[in-house]
Amino acid sequence: MNTSIRRLQGVLLCLVTGLILGDAKPAGAVPAFSRKYQTSCQTCHTIFPKLNPFGQAFRLNGYHMPKETEEQIKQKPVSLGAEAYERMWPEMVWPSDLPGNVPFALNTKMANIYSSSLDDTGHQVVHNDFQFPQEANLFAAGTLGKNFGFFGEFTWEERPDGGSDTEIEHARIDVISPFGPEHLVNFRIGKLAPNLYDGFQEMWLMTDNGVDTLFTYNPIGFHGGTGLAEEDAGVSLPSRARAIEMYGVAAHRLFYTIGVASPIGPGGPNGTFGSNSQKDFYARVDYKIGGMGLDGDTTGVQLPPENWREKSLRIGVLGYTGNGKDVNFDIADDEGTPFKMQDRRYNRYGVFASWYFGDLNVFGVALHGTDKLALLDDETLEQINETRRSYDAWFAQADYVIRPPFQVSVRYENLRVADPTIPSIRTLNANLSVLIRANIKAMLEYHRDLRQSQNYTLATVLRFAL
Amino acid sequence: MKRALCIALFTLMTAPLSAGDLHGKVACKGVRDSSDAVVYVTAVAGKTFPAPKEHEKIDQANLVFSPHVLPVLVGTTVDFLNSDAVLHNVFSPDACAEKFNLGTWPKGQIRSYQFKKECVAALLCKVHPEMEAFVVAVPTPYFAVTKADGNYRIPDVPDGTYTVKVWHPKLRATQKSVTVSGATAAEFEIAK
Repeated sequence: MNTSIRRLQGVLLCLVTGLILGDAKPAGAVPAFSRKYQTSCQTCHTIFPKLNPFGQAFRLNGYHMPKETEEQIKQKPVSLGAEAYERMWPEMVWPSDLPGNVPFALNTKMANIYSSSLDDTGHQVVHNDFQFPQEANLFAAGTLGKNFGFFGEFTWEERPDGGSDTEIEHARIDVISPFGPEHLVNFRIGKLAPNLYDGFQEMWLMTDNGVDTLFTYNPIGFHGGTGLAEEDAGVSLPSRARAIEMYGVAAHRLFYTIGVASPIGPGGPNGTFGSNSQKDFYARVDYKIGGMGLDGDTTGVQLPPENWREKSLRIGVLGYTGNGKDVNFDIADDEGTPFKMQDRRYNRYGVFASWYFGDLNVFGVALHGTDKLALLDDETLEQINETRRSYDAWFAQADYVIRPPFQVSVRYENLRVADPTIPSIRTLNANLSVLIRANIKAMLEYHRDLRQSQNYTLATVLRFAL
Repeated sequence: MKRALCIALFTLMTAPLSAGDLHGKVACKGVRDSSDAVVYVTAVAGKTFPAPKEHEKIDQANLVFSPHVLPVLVGTTVDFLNSDAVLHNVFSPDACAEKFNLGTWPKGQIRSYQFKKECVAALLCKVHPEMEAFVVAVPTPYFAVTKADGNYRIPDVPDGTYTVKVWHPKLRATQKSVTVSGATAAEFEIAK
C-alpha cells in the first residue's frame, strides 16, 4: 500500500471519527428568557436553537427586546439600587438589578447514533449506540440592569465509551450600549462564540451537526492540512474563543464586530487555545436588505405574522488572523518521523450570505485560508523549513419550514485541504426536525461522506429544554 | 331696606365660588401599571396658598418607602417614620430639596423635612440602596396621584382655565390647558 493511500485512509478514518465522536454540540435554547418574559420559545426560535429574525435582534441587543418596556418583563427584577443613584455616581455605586429568579435553564440531549465507517484494512465497521443521555447543558443567561448581560453554559457530555467530559463552553459578560447611540457599541468579554460566526456557528444551527469543514479542519500537517482535527491538533477557526469583542448595529441594518482572542493551539477541535505572547484578531461586517432590522427595527417594513418568515438578504465579509509562533504541534512525516510544527501566520477570509424567502432560508459561507507553517526539529526545535499552504472551504445550507412543527434542512460542505495529494472532503447533511412541543424536539439526521458511501451516520435525536 | 341690602352683600361675599372635581385617567405606557403619576394644577391666577400646618407622612416599612410618590403643597413638612427594626436613612440628591440628609434613626422615631420650593425630590436610603420614593412639591393644593388603573380625582377645583401638569417617576412629563366647569374630565397619556 503506497503512502498516499495510507494517508487517505487515515484521513477518512479521522473524518468519520470526527463525525461520530465530535457530534456533541452545544444547545442554544435558553428557557431562562421564556420565564423572564413569560413567552414561548418560538418568540425567538424557528426551531431551537435556530433564531428567527426577532431572536437574532434580541441576541444582538444583549438579551433585551427591541424597544423593551418594563411591562414586558414579567419577572420583576431585584433592584440593587434606586435609579436616582445614577446622579450620585461616583459618590455612590451605580444602580443595577438582578434577575427576579435564578436565571438557569437546562438542555438535555439523547441520541441513537447508527454509524458506518471503514477501518484501516478497508472493512466496514458499524456501531449502533443508544447515547442516553449524550449531553446535558446548564445555562445561565440574563441581564444585570440596563447595560450588562451575561451568558454561561456548562456542558456535561457522556462519551460512547461510558466516560464523561465537562466543559465551561461559554462564560461571558456583555456590556450593552455603554455610550453612543443605542445598539451601536457593545462589548463582550469571556469565553464565547465570536459574533464573527453569527448565523452559522453550531449554537445557531437547527441541525445536530455543526459545519465541520469550517470549524474542525486541521491546517497542520507535514504537507499541509489533510482533514478534520483530532486531539491536540490545530483548527481552521476556533468555534469558541477567549476574547474581548466589540460589536454593534448601525442604522438598523449594518452589523460589525471586531475582536481580539487568544491564539489557536493544540487541544482538540472544541476550543483550542495557545499560550504564546501573541493575540488573534478578527472582524466582520454585514448588511441586511429587507426584513426586520438587525436591531429589531420594523420601521417601514411589512412583516407577515408568521415570525419565521421574511424576505431579506444579508451579506457579509469576515476575516481572522493570528500568529502561532512558539505554539508547537506534534506531527510526523510519511515514515513516521516526529517533528514539531508552528503555524506562524494564519489568515482566514470569508464571505457570508443568508437569504430568507418566506419559509425558506438559504445561507452559506465560503472561506479561504492560508498558513505559514514552520517545520521544526522535534528535539532541538531548530527550524528546518517554512512553507505556505492554503485551503478553501465552503458550505451551503437550506432550511425550510414545512409547518412550524415540521422543518427540514439540507447542507452541502466542501473542503479543499492544503495537502495536494488528498482529495477534497465533501459531505452531505440532511435533517428532519419535529417540534413535539415548543421545548421538545426530535430529529432524524443523516450525515454522509460523499467520497465513500460506507462512511455515514444516521442520528436520531431527542432534545428538550426547561 | 338697609338691612336687606346688608344681608344681600354678606351673602354675595361669603358664598363659595363654584367649583368641581377634576377627574379622569392617566394612561402610562411602557410601565407595569398606571400608578404614581402626579396630576396637578400649576397655578390659580391671583391666589397664593399658605403652607399647611399639618404634616404629611412617609413610612419606611419592610424596606420600602410608603407611599412611593407623595405630592404636597410647597411649604409642607413631611415626617419620615421608621417602622422597621433596622436603621434607616433618608436623603435627597436634589438641589431643590437642599440635598438634605436626615441621618439614620431607629424604629419608631420620626425625622422631618420641610419642602420649601417647588420640587421633585428623589428620596433615598443610604443603608438600603434599592429604596426610593419621591416627594413632588407643587404650587397649588389641587393635586392627586393616580391609582394602578390610572384614575385620579382632584376635588374642589374652582371653575376656570388652568394648566394641568402630569409628572411620573419614569415617564416623560406632560401638560395641557383644562377648563374646569363643575365636574370636569381630563385624560392624559404619557410614555418614555
